[in-house]
Amino acid sequence: MILFLRFAVMRAAMALITLLTVSFIVFSLMALVPANCAERYLAYKTTQGEQITIADIRAEERRLGLDKPYVERWVRWVGNVFMEGDFGESCILRVRVSQLVGDKFLLSLGICAAALIFAYAIALPVGIFSATASSPVLNNVLRLVSYLGLALPNFLLALMIMLFSTIVFGDSMTGLFSREMRDAPWSWDKAMDFLSRAWLPVFILGWSATAFAMQSVRALVSDEYGKLYVMAARARGVHGAALLWRYPARHALGPIINSLGFDLNRVFNQLPIVAVILVLTESGALLLEALARSNDQQLAGAIIFLLTGSIVALNFLTDILLALADPRVRRSVMGG
Amino acid sequence: MASASAAPDRKSREAYFTASQGELIWARFRRNRAAMVAGAVLAFMVLVGLFAPFLSPYDPTINGRNRDYMNGAPQIPRFCDHNGCSARPFLYTLERTRSIQTNFRWVTTVNMEKRRYVQFFVQGWEYRLLSLDFEIPGTELRVNIPGIPFTTHLFGVDQGSIHLFGTDSAGKDIFSRTLHAIWTSLAVGTIGVLIGFVLALVIGGISGYRGGWIDSALQMATDAVRTIPAIPLFMALAAFMPAEWSPERRFFFIATILGLISWPTLARRVRTHLLTERNQEYVLAAQLCGASGGHVVRRHLLPSFTSYIIVDLVISFPYMVLSETALSFIGLGLKDPVNSLGVMLQNVTSADVLLNYQWYFIPVIFFVVLVLAFVFVGDGLRDAADPYSDHR
Repeated sequence: MILFLRFAVMRAAMALITLLTVSFIVFSLMALVPANCAERYLAYKTTQGEQITIADIRAEERRLGLDKPYVERWVRWVGNVFMEGDFGESCILRVRVSQLVGDKFLLSLGICAAALIFAYAIALPVGIFSATASSPVLNNVLRLVSYLGLALPNFLLALMIMLFSTIVFGDSMTGLFSREMRDAPWSWDKAMDFLSRAWLPVFILGWSATAFAMQSVRALVSDEYGKLYVMAARARGVHGAALLWRYPARHALGPIINSLGFDLNRVFNQLPIVAVILVLTESGALLLEALARSNDQQLAGAIIFLLTGSIVALNFLTDILLALADPRVRRSVMGG
Repeated sequence: MASASAAPDRKSREAYFTASQGELIWARFRRNRAAMVAGAVLAFMVLVGLFAPFLSPYDPTINGRNRDYMNGAPQIPRFCDHNGCSARPFLYTLERTRSIQTNFRWVTTVNMEKRRYVQFFVQGWEYRLLSLDFEIPGTELRVNIPGIPFTTHLFGVDQGSIHLFGTDSAGKDIFSRTLHAIWTSLAVGTIGVLIGFVLALVIGGISGYRGGWIDSALQMATDAVRTIPAIPLFMALAAFMPAEWSPERRFFFIATILGLISWPTLARRVRTHLLTERNQEYVLAAQLCGASGGHVVRRHLLPSFTSYIIVDLVISFPYMVLSETALSFIGLGLKDPVNSLGVMLQNVTSADVLLNYQWYFIPVIFFVVLVLAFVFVGDGLRDAADPYSDHR
């Protein structure tokens, strides 16, 4: 138990170091954007007809702490993020970033998690089944699907589905809520409305993760299926589903749990673009808005950091989960 | 009978044992039918991209727009109709009229009685083959090779116009734009892959060669970069680009960003190879024979994994193309005078396009085929480069 705790603490420390490195990268990016927050805000003010002098800019910089050295600013930013969950103020909108991002980020995290669950709910059974059914046709179809996962990326798939549904149903199926429900308070009807529309983005976001997961599950299980211990089990009279679940499927689970973090990465990757196409109003779209339209570095940095943070957290969780689930890993961790 | 079949068998065995690594890889690759087909498709795409100006009847930029045929439907050449067949493909004549009957709006009608025959090797807009023109942002380095001017195009029509894939809202020919977009995608991918490759080789090389704490620190950084979702990071980097940059500069900058972000995977691969290979006995043997460090790296370590690296480069290519498309699609990547798939798809989400102008989506087919070809070739190469793939 103590060994396990030590392992968990070690992993947590490593996750923390990764997060710090990521925060440094993100912060450097934010700082590298031409023109700093003060200049940008005041430039905006001049367009509103106010007279701005260099002294005003310097004063604003002092107020935002931009005159301090680089490393000190980074330490303060990271400190605020970790201690208080505070990402500072948006450059343009002058609202706290946490206030802007808050709900939207949770919503998109939920959608992405649903997309991951969806991906594995399909990929696991299909992958395991196809590994045992050695039909070349099925094999090739699966291979093609997994290749399409790369060649028809999520946003193109979204476009294709939009095109198709517009021609066939006359509705492009975009948005997370129907028009009547968009501004209504949360209620049973609104939740139902949400669910009836959310499955499409969930499917589209999960699409390439599904395609890849299917291929890897198949490869793992079929690798295990040909091994001697499976043959020995078969010789003892174990067969069918019992054989499959007892040995190879379990065996293949380890690498799959391990790759969850990367799958989440894959889902996040496409989030902003899919969000724009499907008119989802959540943090992916907010990121695009922050970058493409207003060039809001504080907001963009916060969102990228949050996305990466959830991937790191998931990686940490899967490491712990793997140690609990897989006796071989447990053994190497506990040393006995 | 037995001796007759044994002789060629021995010959082929001998050929097998004396074959170079390249020959062996090629022989294994040739046996993979899907990869061979994909390779042919890929070669075709590269040629199409290279000779895009020759193959396209119209200038893909705004100079080549057709004012009389905006948002025009694809015109498919036909060989046969109710008036009989012809060996030379033809199009019907489009007539635009405006009168009191049409409420003074321009209305296009198809006159099926007037044929326009497709001509081959016609003279058209001027283009330059083998020209190279780019500038690197920051420094004043500008490369400009003028190339050879040509005006001949593969096909065209005498009167009116020929738009195989239709036209877009500005009247630009989608067929010509698609061909040029293939070339842009390939060029962006190539530059990106090369930059990523150099970075990966240097970082992975140092990491694997030095080992110790340098290795640990570099690996940590690599892991951190790998966890950040790539496309949001692309977006953040692409936002640095000032809006007034020239298209060539944007193009180069985008390719650089793609390279800057893609190195971690390959760097890791290089490092792992170096770490395992440098403790192999053949390296020790070479060292004991008195070979210098540089000699060992050049003659023994590098050849041991060049094939893997080439395979990795081919496999990472579609990701480059994909990222560029995504970036341009949302308007952060390449911009209008340059044609790329993302640029062409920029405005397709509007209801107008979805309902009325579905031919805007034709380039997607080319994109999917291009990426699939790369994936199949990459997979085939990976299997071919693995010396143990035969024994499984």
